[in-house]
Amino acid sequence: MATSLFYILVFPGILFLGLFSLALEFFDRKFHARMQNRKGPPWFQPLADFIKLSAKEGIIPEEANATLFRLMPLLALTAATVSFFYIPLWSTRALYSFDGDLIVVIYLLTIPTLAFFLAGWVSASLYSMLGAVRALTQLFAYEVPLFMAVLSPAILAGSWSLSEIAAFFNDKPLFIIFNVPGFLISLIALLGKLEKVPFDIPEAETEIVGGSFTEYSGRYLAFFRMAVDIEMLVGASLVAALFLPIGLDLHPVAGFIVYILKVLFVVALLSVLRTIFARIRIDQMIRFCWIYLAPLSLIQILIAFIVKGLFLQ
Amino acid sequence: MSIISKMVNWARLKSPWIIHFNTGACNACDIEIVDALTPRYDIERFGILLKGTPRHADVMICSGAVTNQIEDRLKRVYEQMPEPRFVVAVGTCASSGGVFNGCYNVKGGIDTVIPVNAYIPGCPVRPEAIIDGVVKLLASLEEKEG
Ligand code: SF4
Repeated sequence: MATSLFYILVFPGILFLGLFSLALEFFDRKFHARMQNRKGPPWFQPLADFIKLSAKEGIIPEEANATLFRLMPLLALTAATVSFFYIPLWSTRALYSFDGDLIVVIYLLTIPTLAFFLAGWVSASLYSMLGAVRALTQLFAYEVPLFMAVLSPAILAGSWSLSEIAAFFNDKPLFIIFNVPGFLISLIALLGKLEKVPFDIPEAETEIVGGSFTEYSGRYLAFFRMAVDIEMLVGASLVAALFLPIGLDLHPVAGFIVYILKVLFVVALLSVLRTIFARIRIDQMIRFCWIYLAPLSLIQILIAFIVKGLFLQ
Repeated sequence: MSIISKMVNWARLKSPWIIHFNTGACNACDIEIVDALTPRYDIERFGILLKGTPRHADVMICSGAVTNQIEDRLKRVYEQMPEPRFVVAVGTCASSGGVFNGCYNVKGGIDTVIPVNAYIPGCPVRPEAIIDGVVKLLASLEEKEG
């Protein structure tokens, strides 16, 4: 009881998750700044932002539904946090696992997006409503390719449990190379999920001010920012667990370092993508996802079936 | 002062988010503000981020004399900012009305409508002066509260 409380609350649970996701936001911003030939923010910047926002006045618009307005940041934060416990990090065993947790994790990662949508909707402001609708439209574009991309490791391993998938790839590491298209697809889908450039269409501060978060301030905004950071960490961990399952049977300390490096690698790729692209329009994004990403993920599933038929029977 | 309020104060000084509001400038001051936001001056070093909405901002950067048209909007945008909030008047016009003082459609400087925490003179101001002004505003807060 005491140990599992420690696992959930401190390490590798909520405290570790919060600090590591703040560190990850710093890494992302600093890397982005360095690529633009800037000095970038100091290391404590995300922490200072979080503390400052938490201490600020939180305004709830008169027209808004106050209960839902307050609830949405918490919902997003909770869903992102809970999904972390099912992902194998530096060993082949996650903190908790059962058959089918892959599906549960992906659905839990969808909840923050729905929370963003509802938050924008109940704020009763035109800008946030536009942002909310765009967030939901975008969801339909990237979600299907993401689902199909994470399907292929599951097909190869013959299991719906993330821990069993990790164990399978740990035994047969060479099968990772058949999942490279899936890795690329999930990276792009992750950009859409995190609403980062080029898919920051729901936030687009030059057109619709701040998207769903336009009316949010103070600690509500702080929780939302935290939720996005944790979503980034969980997304990167999920991609690392599914498509880069290496170094899982090492000594825990070495495995931990390998895990950190893997997550940093995925986030660095995301930063590079957001530095070199500019924002595209919502119709371009949907066309891109359905014309290129979805067929590519079908091909990925086909590859997985053929490989399974040839080598794993 | 307890440790928590010290920490909050530190965080406030390290992460001032700004919103830019043109209250009737001739546009030169606005161009200089945009200049200060470019990677060349890299104000993210000080934790400064440009935000699109007053709800997220701590510091409102106003440029230009207040016209009769913009007066109500300026008040509303100011009221939409959550406490604690600060106002910086950028340019001679924003500080005192400048060359537009006495025009039939001009009220005067920003401080005729809302309280101002820092004045940055110049016509137009240089980006360095804007950064210096914001940093000095933060330093004065540190003395007051620290
Ligand atoms: S201070 Fe000078 S540059 Fe700035 S708005 Fe006034 S006239 Fe224009």
